[in-house]
Amino acid sequence: MNTAKKKLNIWLVLALAILALFLIFVVYPIGLILYKSILMEDGTISFSYFTKFFSKKFYWSTLVNSFKVTIASTLVSAVLGLIMAYLLRSIKIKGSKYLNILIVISYLSPPFIGAYAWVQLLGRNGVITRILNSVFNAKLGGIYGFAGIVLVFSLQSFPLVYMYVSGALKNLDNSLNEAAESLGCSTVQRVWKVIVPLITPTLLASSLLVFMRVFSDFGTPMLIGEGYKTFPVLLYSQFMGEVSTDAHYAAALCVIVIVITLVLFFLQKYIGNRLTYSMSALKPMEPQKVTGIRNVLAHGFVYLVVLAAILPQLTVITTSFLETRGASYTGQFTLQNYKNIIMPKNISTITNTYLFGLAAIILVVILGVLISYLTVRKRSFLTSILDTLTMFPYIIPGSVLGISFLYAFNKKPLLLSGTAIIVIISLCIRRMPYTIRSSTAIIGQISPSVEEAAISLGSTEVKTFVKITVPMMMAGVLSGAIMSWITLISELSSSIILYTSKTQTLTVAIYTEVIRSNFGNAAAYSTVLTITSVLSLLLFFKVSGSEDISV
Amino acid sequence: MSVAISIENVVKRFGKETVINGLSLEIKPGEFFTLLGPSGCGKTTLLRMIIGFNSIEGGQIKIDGKVINNIPTNKRNMGMVFQNYAIFPHMSVKDNIAFGLKNRKVPKAEIEKRVDEILKIVKIDHLKDRMPHKMSGGQQQRIALARAIVIHPEVLLMDEPLSNLDAKLRTEMRNAIKQIQQQVGITTVYVTHDQEEALAVSDRIAVMNGGVIQQIDTPKNIYQRPANTFVSTFIGLSNIMDGKLESNENGKALIRIGDYKFQMNNIKKDCGSNCPVKVSVRPEEFIINKETEEGIPVTVKSSVFLGVTTHYFVETKEGQEIEVIQSSDIGEIIPNGKKVHLKVQVQKINVFSEDGSRSFIDREVRP
Ligand SMILES: Nc1ncnc2c1ncn2[C@@H]1O[C@H](COP(=O)(O)OP(=O)(O)OP(=O)(O)O)[C@@H](O)[C@H]1O
Ligand SMILES: [Mg+2]
Repeated sequence: MNTAKKKLNIWLVLALAILALFLIFVVYPIGLILYKSILMEDGTISFSYFTKFFSKKFYWSTLVNSFKVTIASTLVSAVLGLIMAYLLRSIKIKGSKYLNILIVISYLSPPFIGAYAWVQLLGRNGVITRILNSVFNAKLGGIYGFAGIVLVFSLQSFPLVYMYVSGALKNLDNSLNEAAESLGCSTVQRVWKVIVPLITPTLLASSLLVFMRVFSDFGTPMLIGEGYKTFPVLLYSQFMGEVSTDAHYAAALCVIVIVITLVLFFLQKYIGNRLTYSMSALKPMEPQKVTGIRNVLAHGFVYLVVLAAILPQLTVITTSFLETRGASYTGQFTLQNYKNIIMPKNISTITNTYLFGLAAIILVVILGVLISYLTVRKRSFLTSILDTLTMFPYIIPGSVLGISFLYAFNKKPLLLSGTAIIVIISLCIRRMPYTIRSSTAIIGQISPSVEEAAISLGSTEVKTFVKITVPMMMAGVLSGAIMSWITLISELSSSIILYTSKTQTLTVAIYTEVIRSNFGNAAAYSTVLTITSVLSLLLFFKVSGSEDISV
Repeated sequence: MSVAISIENVVKRFGKETVINGLSLEIKPGEFFTLLGPSGCGKTTLLRMIIGFNSIEGGQIKIDGKVINNIPTNKRNMGMVFQNYAIFPHMSVKDNIAFGLKNRKVPKAEIEKRVDEILKIVKIDHLKDRMPHKMSGGQQQRIALARAIVIHPEVLLMDEPLSNLDAKLRTEMRNAIKQIQQQVGITTVYVTHDQEEALAVSDRIAVMNGGVIQQIDTPKNIYQRPANTFVSTFIGLSNIMDGKLESNENGKALIRIGDYKFQMNNIKKDCGSNCPVKVSVRPEEFIINKETEEGIPVTVKSSVFLGVTTHYFVETKEGQEIEVIQSSDIGEIIPNGKKVHLKVQVQKINVFSEDGSRSFIDREVRP
């Protein structure tokens, strides 16, 4: 038993070490936020910050606004995503493979880039606004506020619903469709009575993901909201604002967001568990050729939506080659913007993005694989605590994580603020739950008997893990890592809070350049980001050998 | 060089549930020993206790007299073939087979030699550098077997190794396994719930039910002289009928089923007389009597002609359904509804105590 015990200890030590990391970098900062939110300046404990929030319309209306835009955007995304997925799965659309990739790309860019691009197009001085105004001799003021936010979020988020529903439709056996048809259902009835109920769980789950994402995003309402203030904007301005910063009040606001996302998280879990049908299609739905007006309409709709979704990217890429003077364009083409961003004093923005992203990915993959192995194969009380704890970051919005990090790590012995390490760790933690979830799924597909076979052949447990388990997981983990990499390099909400001039990344640079009206540089940075994402996506397709994306 | 395995009073618990409660058996050196039993009876559990994946909550397991309870699996020197083959998908055939040898720090040249040797034995030497996912189920099974044998294990364990193969391949592979086992002479414990497979390959079979051994014997004895009604009905088909042991003197016992009386000379002496018994008759142990009134009166309900044999489904007066198999003869098949009488081949049938737990047959006596 001695040797067996020693081996067990290696896993125990690992589990304890990982647990310690999570206690320091997740539990402690969040606990601190909770504590600060009820700690008055005179050292007493009270809920007066919460009372303050809920008693002033100026404050609580931001929450109402947030719910309004989030619900509206989620609904539009769900409908758009559903229709797009159904059309592309059931009707032969020319170039559907490329449309698919374009949709994914539009999703992978950070939402605030969409906001800033749409301002360029439909804002007060937007290209389209100006054309419309001169053609119709109108005085359109541009799209800002509620409508603008919903437009950007919807176009940016429907791809998520699209990807999930499209995956579900792929697993839907066509014989169900045919059975319904033979029973006398019309096409519309069939969609409504057979397909919609079967994919409802997927639709709901993905909609909730959209909801959470939209609810906590602050870049978009910041750029296109103008007077329309949402909750994350309030949070950001309370924390970073020049006028009145109140750390404790900001902490209370963080707690409110955490509570809301927590509720959403459990809702999503509940729905996910209750409503999933396990289906696997023997005979998946084949896109059919249709003719006449239906064909024209289907093509028209799909192309229009994809164009709208990808338009921000096109705008950004185009403007990156335009010469700017101040905030306006001269109409000349130039490479000056790119020259600016690769100047020695600026180049670190790009290198930082790559370095931080890479470091975070390596960390997150190693930890993710270890944690999922521990929780799946070495079930114990300790590892089940770990299992729950590692899902924590899922419910903590980026800005909250950023704020809590600044509170927690701004003095010795854990003086990390302003360093690259704090950015990397925050990226790592934000992505951890996704990586763990996908690694857990991958391990679940590996039969334990393969590991047992190795052990029966004289291999130690550690050696088995390294030589058998890890290599078998590699393909899946690698493609997951590429997706993580793409989402990490477009992360804004925690980086914007944690960055200093030395640790500025692409998204932060884009955001600050937009705020300073340096549209040329912003566009050039965005283009670099887009190209990186596209190349990574192509690599993903090559590594995973599939066209299905899960984010 | 082959080893003996003794399992002494082992206990296995999963949480509060006791799956095996004090099971003992002896496996002889070089023997092909099979654990046979219905699903969930604890075969896999016992096998995994032998190799060390399952802890042992009581009793002990000895290899050649040495207790191995606390030796970790990777030091036990046992080879295992899994139901799903458990081939390492990221390694070529050769690397799969060499894996165990590398763990044992066998020199490179020797590894090459042994891998080539074993590949020839399992007849996949032409596939040495192939990746496993490009191979058929039967070929993967051969890799698994080669991989387990090549380390020269003291014991070879196989858990339903053939259950994922189609019927034809199953027969082919079971012959291959038997042949290879004899060739290398390893003590082998084989788990299956396919009785035909068990009968075909085993030197001895242990029939298990609910974590308890029902009988350990040669395939022939298991089939012909089952120890209780569980074994007689689990292995092959048996019709169990209520009967009476009327008298049992001077090695001549009189058995009665309804009005049908017959004499047997191989009933144990200590079974008393004038007591109720269970008579177990296999379908092929009946003789259909169309001429006289001797035998159990039955009505033919239906029949199936299968070429070599013809199966009759008949019913007794009491409503018990009985299956009878006769070798097909050239005459007419007995029509449905016809009343006939069934006699039994007394030297073949088995007689059990009323609760079915004990055989009354004295195996020392030639019937
Ligand atoms: N890890 C476990 N935890 C709890 N109970 C278990 C575990 N493994 C097996 N059992 C129980 O032990 C009993 C015996 O299981 P075992 O797998 O040994 O059956 P088996 O004879 O191999 O059946 P089969 O022919 O279906 O493979 C079953 O009732 C099963 O539910
Ligand atoms: Mg089993």
